[in-house]
Amino acid sequence: MTRRAALAAMVLGGVGFATFGPRGAKEDPRGRVVLDYWEKWTGHEAAAMKKIVDAFNQSQDRIVVRYLTTAGIDQKTLITIAAGDPPDVVGLWAYLVPVFAESDSLIPLDELDTKGEVRVERYATGFRELMTHRDSKGQTRQWATMNTGGTLAVYYNKAHFREVGLDPEKPPRTIEEFDAAHRKLVKRDADGSLTRAGFMHIEPGWWSWIWVFQFGGGVYDSINDRSIIGAPEAVAAYEWMQSYSKELGVDATKKFRAGFGNYDSPLNAFLSGRLSMVIQGPWLANVINAHGPKDANGKPLIDYGVMPAPVIPSLVDPRNPVGLVEGDVLVIPKGCKHPKEAMEFIAFTQRQEHVEALSLAHYKSSTLAVSSEKFLREHPNTGVRVFDAVAQSTQGFRYPRTQAWTQFKDELDGMAQRMWSLEQPAKEMLTTVQARTQSYLDRAEQQRNLRGRSIRGDRA
Amino acid sequence: MSTSGAQLKKDLLGWLWVSPWVIGFLAFLAAPMAMSLYYSFTDYPLLEGPVWIGLGNWQRMLTDEIFHAAILRTAWYAILFIPIATAMALVIAALLNEKVKAGGFFQAAVFIPTLVPMAGSAMIWLWMLNGEYGLINQSIHAAFGWAGIEGPNWLQNSKWAMPSILMISLWSIGQMVVVYLAALKEVPDELLEAGALDGMGPVRRFFNITLPMISPVILFNVITLMIGSLQVFAIPYVLSAATPGNDPRAMYFFTSSMYDNAFRYNQMGYASAQAWLQLLITLALTAVMFAASKKLVHYRA
Repeated sequence: MTRRAALAAMVLGGVGFATFGPRGAKEDPRGRVVLDYWEKWTGHEAAAMKKIVDAFNQSQDRIVVRYLTTAGIDQKTLITIAAGDPPDVVGLWAYLVPVFAESDSLIPLDELDTKGEVRVERYATGFRELMTHRDSKGQTRQWATMNTGGTLAVYYNKAHFREVGLDPEKPPRTIEEFDAAHRKLVKRDADGSLTRAGFMHIEPGWWSWIWVFQFGGGVYDSINDRSIIGAPEAVAAYEWMQSYSKELGVDATKKFRAGFGNYDSPLNAFLSGRLSMVIQGPWLANVINAHGPKDANGKPLIDYGVMPAPVIPSLVDPRNPVGLVEGDVLVIPKGCKHPKEAMEFIAFTQRQEHVEALSLAHYKSSTLAVSSEKFLREHPNTGVRVFDAVAQSTQGFRYPRTQAWTQFKDELDGMAQRMWSLEQPAKEMLTTVQARTQSYLDRAEQQRNLRGRSIRGDRA
Repeated sequence: MSTSGAQLKKDLLGWLWVSPWVIGFLAFLAAPMAMSLYYSFTDYPLLEGPVWIGLGNWQRMLTDEIFHAAILRTAWYAILFIPIATAMALVIAALLNEKVKAGGFFQAAVFIPTLVPMAGSAMIWLWMLNGEYGLINQSIHAAFGWAGIEGPNWLQNSKWAMPSILMISLWSIGQMVVVYLAALKEVPDELLEAGALDGMGPVRRFFNITLPMISPVILFNVITLMIGSLQVFAIPYVLSAATPGNDPRAMYFFTSSMYDNAFRYNQMGYASAQAWLQLLITLALTAVMFAASKKLVHYRA
């Protein structure tokens, strides 16, 4: 074969591949609109969502939704929006809404939801704020719907409570009662090593900063765009955390924690009985059922209860417990190809039967303002009413709604570990961290200033 | 056809043949580099267009305490890892160069860890380094427990974060060992025999003959190690993410900071400036190493 013939063959091959070769199925053979839906869930959580997707696909013949489990969904969504080719629907974490909303990178749902099927009033009080945020012009819009909710409460081991003479039906409500229960639950072996702790603030360490709210404080003043992590309530909360570390021993707890396994395993500290109380979301019940010890009939042996996280006496209100309210949201990215069809799909997922089916499969409480009695009665998580109460509470709190939150949170997570290790007195450390977190907020404000949309301008 | 026409046609054909590489280089390296240089002078949150801020990002690097700590940690890592890895790889290669039974097995055993992806390697070590159930601490306990010596909490204690990362990195030096082994096999036997006849012992032969003969390969390996050390990312990233509740900054390196700024904090402009600083540091250190090599590296005529 001559060189010319080889070259011609290569060019022809390339053209043929480009013309007839494999490509992504952007079109449906039945002529339906193809919606791309990216979601972060895997395993049984993804399977539950896929059932709803399948139900939608079968409910009509104009739209077909393609579900794609996507790792690193936040970063990939960011990049596809920046590149101008995002999917039609994305399942994000609610705390990311401000990042996308302030740059108008999402399509406001209040623009598309002409029938009012996903209006915020349909949802439990605590979730409403998660779906809204200001746009680039400072106007509050609805950007998302809740997909599932995730509130926090304290799981406690009833058998451990009984063992030390605590009444499992009357769990502690105040910080003082909680401390007393914790002290009773601590167990050490003959050489003084910890074999069981009542509670440890840094286990699992996913929400290291929430204790400030249990003392009536906060971490971010959204009105003035200021970090308030150095405020007296925060100092009290972190001193409380340090009191546990002092009592249990820094080195002793490090050694003790080394034996904790992964969250989703039988070595989970709560499942293995090393911790009697742990802060977690409703999903822990699923881990208990999947990995906890079971009897001969496969029934879980851990007899657990759920209580609202303890608070200072002035905040005790059984109807309005204090707790973190977060969740997963559905959004429609700006630049997507089928926003109207995406809205139709989202509205379908938000019907009460679908919300409850998904929440049941995820072991979570419903995101809606009113749950059916059947849902609450048949729920596999025996503490679902507590999680629901946190979601409905007027004392629920959320991740701070600022673009700088990821950086802010990283700082707080690092501090929690140093705090537990007693590297510095709480007040001293908080003063430093307040200054640093304020610099992150200032940086975000600088970014807004560069684009002519300061949020502090009016208050100067 | 005239001579110049034929030459032009020949040139065009040549360009056509190399065009896949040229297009790839321009689209996936030159253009992104040029764009990142531009972004390094802008505020660019990705979701909105870049805004020119001049030297703002470069000035910020001078005052960013967390970034300074990350650079220092990276420098420490490089200072510790490069000599330890070089010495270990050389010793292992020298041992493998001896004619021993099942030499092929040992060569494969040393090389296989390099085939494990970094993230997978980190996950394996996560279990190996578990303070209570991990193989390392169980072995220490079995060997020295009687004397009251126990292994540390490798991943729960920020002071042990660096030794843990070094240990994991050292597990994957097989590729370097293979390069050294090839170099050792190239050392002329007649030189070693001459040294032996002159009364040199094995140690002296190694330092006075073998080492100078393989010094160009050592230079190559040290430079690639230096570049790799400045870019260390996957292992600390996976370990840090897999041990929540620990101080994430204990495993925070140069590239961790760059990654966070680019993709988690929406500060692509600042991340681009950091990337360019990393490139400049790498170039400067490479230049220093080449300058130093003039006296230290022996090239065979």
